[in-house]
Amino acid sequence: MIGLTQNTAPAPGALFRHIPRQSLAAVLILFATAGLALVMSRTEAILAPLWILGIAAGFTLQRSRFCFASAFRDLFLFGSGRIMKGVIVGLSICTIGFAINMYNQVPFPEFGVLPAEANILPVGVSTIVAGLLFGVGMVLAGGCVSGSLYRMAEGYIGSWVTMAGIIIGLGLLSQTWNWWWDTLIFRESPIWLPAKLGYGGSVVLTLSGLLAIFMLILWWESRSGLSMPNIPSREVSQDTFGQKLSVLWRSVFVLGWPAIAGGTVLGGIGVLMYMVHMPWGVTGELTRWANTTMTTLGFSPPEALGLRAIGGCAGRADESGIFTHTFAVTVGVLPGALVGALFAREFKLRFPQSARRYVQSLGGGIIMGYGAGLGIGCTIGAFFSSIPSLSISGWLFALSLAGGAFLGVKIIKRIA
Amino acid sequence: MELDVRGEICPYPMMKAVEAMKKLQANENVVVITDHAPCLDTIPPQAGRYGYSSNVKKTGSPEWTITLTPIGDE
Repeated sequence: MIGLTQNTAPAPGALFRHIPRQSLAAVLILFATAGLALVMSRTEAILAPLWILGIAAGFTLQRSRFCFASAFRDLFLFGSGRIMKGVIVGLSICTIGFAINMYNQVPFPEFGVLPAEANILPVGVSTIVAGLLFGVGMVLAGGCVSGSLYRMAEGYIGSWVTMAGIIIGLGLLSQTWNWWWDTLIFRESPIWLPAKLGYGGSVVLTLSGLLAIFMLILWWESRSGLSMPNIPSREVSQDTFGQKLSVLWRSVFVLGWPAIAGGTVLGGIGVLMYMVHMPWGVTGELTRWANTTMTTLGFSPPEALGLRAIGGCAGRADESGIFTHTFAVTVGVLPGALVGALFAREFKLRFPQSARRYVQSLGGGIIMGYGAGLGIGCTIGAFFSSIPSLSISGWLFALSLAGGAFLGVKIIKRIA
Repeated sequence: MELDVRGEICPYPMMKAVEAMKKLQANENVVVITDHAPCLDTIPPQAGRYGYSSNVKKTGSPEWTITLTPIGDE
């Protein structure tokens, strides 16, 4: 990673119209990531495809400016469901892909055996507390875990502070996990829909739920009186092959993608990751960093009771070595988003203007990190990969996230 | 009125633009300068709600100027 960051820093304020220096840097980073893929595949062949999918995910997040925090927050802040609609499209695609994958692993779900890698998490009070904390934290910080990760690569210094907070929060949770386990989680069982309804019924129920929420958002938007203005798009003539290429290049690499396109591509990437090994998640890798750091400093966390059996993101946090599966799909987001930002010439070191924002980023990050640890996943692992695992935990976490985001909006309206 | 919100991330550029539009009551232009791409999608729909039209111009890499004009003045 250190080698990568050296390549990436363009000269500050560089604005050469004729030499796209940022594009050059992007190409160099792509070569470096390809090199790293080769190094990784020597450790384990499966790491290379996971790494590439992680990079693709980062690129997609950056290009579509996908932000789970704003998906929830903007519903309450100004009645906009623009990004949430993209999230729902992605969830629908994952639901179908995950179901096929789970069917291949567990053809007879009624016996209660859960597919090993799916994100089917405990359902109970801990899920609600985790979602509320996460929701408040992500609104305060201005981004969720994956959002902060890709904005780090775009040069947002506030997101680096948020990430530090997230890791502190995950560390605090590692130190206190056993209390939550003894008090609540040990008797909170996962609820996997196919065990009760079979795959067909579970997929139909999940897709119907998603469709109902999509309709609810359309109604919510109409009620809030928010109308998207028709921004006149400059018609570029597409006569020659060169012009066609240039329009295609601009719509993929320069202009932002519509949220629905982002959701569609992320959904596809999520399915592919699960086909290669496991659903997408980033909390596991960050937990690993928090625990390793604490162990180095002499505060190693106690052995987490029951966590490995639960699986999901945190269940993979005890992999050892640098290049692990969680490393590939988490750290891959950084070069992916950086390449996206460089081609679009959107990379810039951005420092928050007021000290208050640093406090918000750190505090929000800590709260969100603690919630991600308790919920055994963030907006990706416990939500975007959990609802398609046909698990009730994803729905309860989402509902609690919405509640947390609602509270968070109340708070930022006062302190903005 | 000029509103320099460079360095601010969502939702603050939008919230500050709304505050300015409310204060000026569609009597004056608001020029928002930002380096945060997502607010290109959040400010224009809000402007419509407060009686302003928006015009987005890319002025740097990355920097945008969003000019909000009272709809009656066009």
